[in-house]
Amino acid sequence: MNEYVVTLDGKKKEIKVVNESTVRIGDIEKEVIISKVNNYLYLLKIANKTYEITTQKLNEEKFRLGVDGHLFETVVRTRLKENASEVIKNKSNEPHITKIVGPMPGLVLKIFKGVGEHVEENEPIVVLEAMKMENEIRSPKSGVIKEVLLKHGSTVEKDAVILTIE
Amino acid sequence: MIKRILIANRGEIAVRITKACREMGITSITVYSDDDRNSLHIRHADEAYYLGPSPASESYLNAKKIIELAKQVNADAIHPGYGFLSEKADFIKAVEDAGIIFIGPSSKSVELMGGKTSARKLMKEHNVPIVPGTVEPIGDLKDALKIAGEIGYPIMIKATAGGGGKGMRKVTNDKELESAFTMARSEALKAFGNADIYMEKFIEDPKHIEVQILADKFGNYIHLFERECSVQRRHQKVVEEAPSISVTPEIRERLTTAAVNAAKACGYYNAGTIEFLLDKNKNVFFLEMNTRLQVEHPVTELITGVDIVKEQIKIADDKKLEIKQEDLRILCHALECRIYAEDVENNFAPSIGQILHHRLPSGPGIRIDRGIDVLSKVSVYYDPMLSKVISYGKDRSEAIQRMKLALGAYQIVGVITNIHSFKWVLSRESFLNGTFDINFIEKEFIPLLPDKWKEYDSEEYEDVVSILSALLKNKENEFKAETQSVSSSNKWMGQRYE
Repeated sequence: MNEYVVTLDGKKKEIKVVNESTVRIGDIEKEVIISKVNNYLYLLKIANKTYEITTQKLNEEKFRLGVDGHLFETVVRTRLKENASEVIKNKSNEPHITKIVGPMPGLVLKIFKGVGEHVEENEPIVVLEAMKMENEIRSPKSGVIKEVLLKHGSTVEKDAVILTIE
Repeated sequence: MIKRILIANRGEIAVRITKACREMGITSITVYSDDDRNSLHIRHADEAYYLGPSPASESYLNAKKIIELAKQVNADAIHPGYGFLSEKADFIKAVEDAGIIFIGPSSKSVELMGGKTSARKLMKEHNVPIVPGTVEPIGDLKDALKIAGEIGYPIMIKATAGGGGKGMRKVTNDKELESAFTMARSEALKAFGNADIYMEKFIEDPKHIEVQILADKFGNYIHLFERECSVQRRHQKVVEEAPSISVTPEIRERLTTAAVNAAKACGYYNAGTIEFLLDKNKNVFFLEMNTRLQVEHPVTELITGVDIVKEQIKIADDKKLEIKQEDLRILCHALECRIYAEDVENNFAPSIGQILHHRLPSGPGIRIDRGIDVLSKVSVYYDPMLSKVISYGKDRSEAIQRMKLALGAYQIVGVITNIHSFKWVLSRESFLNGTFDINFIEKEFIPLLPDKWKEYDSEEYEDVVSILSALLKNKENEFKAETQSVSSSNKWMGQRYE
């Protein structure tokens, strides 16, 4: 039996895959039938109800799923990996460097902060123009800016590191 | 007689126009940029020509190139869609001068409605109610204070050449006006190269109501009733509907009369929209005129049964309007949700990429106007609107119910869309009872970001996607284990054969 921990919207769900057609979610056992329509669409029959679910794999452990107009991002880990990542998380309370990457390609319109300045979590740090719109990039955490890797008026690529915060 | 139409646009509106052409037996000619090589508007057109690199300035905004191309391919008319070149009087003039029919109003009408103060002045002269305030640029602070005394605070200071909120300021007393006056002027000068400003009364929490009109070149004017577009974020409309739940027959009479007067005032022909603000005391004020086809035209098409794009083409082709005002009725209620490629939970960041999977909803009362399909690229260079889901029903609640079903069945993979955020809007008390105004999203939705609005996400769906995620991961792990054992045995076999 394989045990997985699925994290979505800050909640954790324990799923045990008993065999191909039986899963246990928490303490409840469910009969399931999974059918692949194409790489991005699956049918999942649970008891007497069938769901159409769109999926996109974002990385090794992350999926984006859509069902009946709802959208979720899930992180799936084996029980073992989940335990390991919890340990790492608890250890990482000492200061470390966070890299901020551009969520989209765009033109740098404004840079609010410079090297050495303090930022609060959720504080706007950069404004990128993309798709005719100005988009604020906010800091994912509080800290001190260590590097600024972009210039006013330049363009940035998606996923390029634009700033580091300590 | 129009036989070949060049569509100087992209996305869903280019597709929409090709459909009208097809129905009328007209050849549709589309243009495309690098990023649009696989776009839907290419696939729907009879002919498609490469225009230039992806940035709009080098493709869809390149007026000279578009007109040259139209001549080369023997197009006898150009349809500009909305956005891009549709309201640029210079472009319209150049099309007219090239001997090509422009499917829209004359450049003169567009010019008359283009300037903020000149349009206000024209409206006032033709009995169209405008927001109380000035119709000429204000000379100095002394005049400003005097006018402020007449119209009363709060007041908006706006740039004559304005747009996009630049040079716009709200003031609530003389002292604020004194400091804002100079600042607004310098902001306007910087943004538009013109320091002229004017003042109007600030309207508290109004609704955005607009009237669709049609006019031919023979002086016949009709209106196709109103639309309400109060659900908007940063002046970007999100949900539109027709008719408006807040418009009584008496208000409708005032609105539509004003709209037709506005169109007459600028000698308008073709399809146009006159936007109004409706305040808490049921006063209507002229806001501006959009001298083109609008994104939300389908809701009007559904409630009246009129094909606005076909009418546009007929009017441009010197035909008289066949529809009479007295023949028009509001047949049903219609709703439109704009599907944007944006990540609502991540501060509405645009989401770009390629469409990997796309499946449309269908069923009673559903229409989809779209610009995407599998393989389409969602590019950083253009508007993030992918498609529009339009529903209609015998009344508002049936239209809302059908919309919810359609949104639930609409599948897009490859980019993040705002589809999942509409259920919140369509279930909100103030949306349902009609008390919502243009600050609805700002006041009720934004405070719930990033994810508090998602409370409707039921545990059932959370379990379903969790189970699927675990099953997919499990399959992967098993597959990995299998391929590992296969490759190791191959290695062993390989060694043996050496």
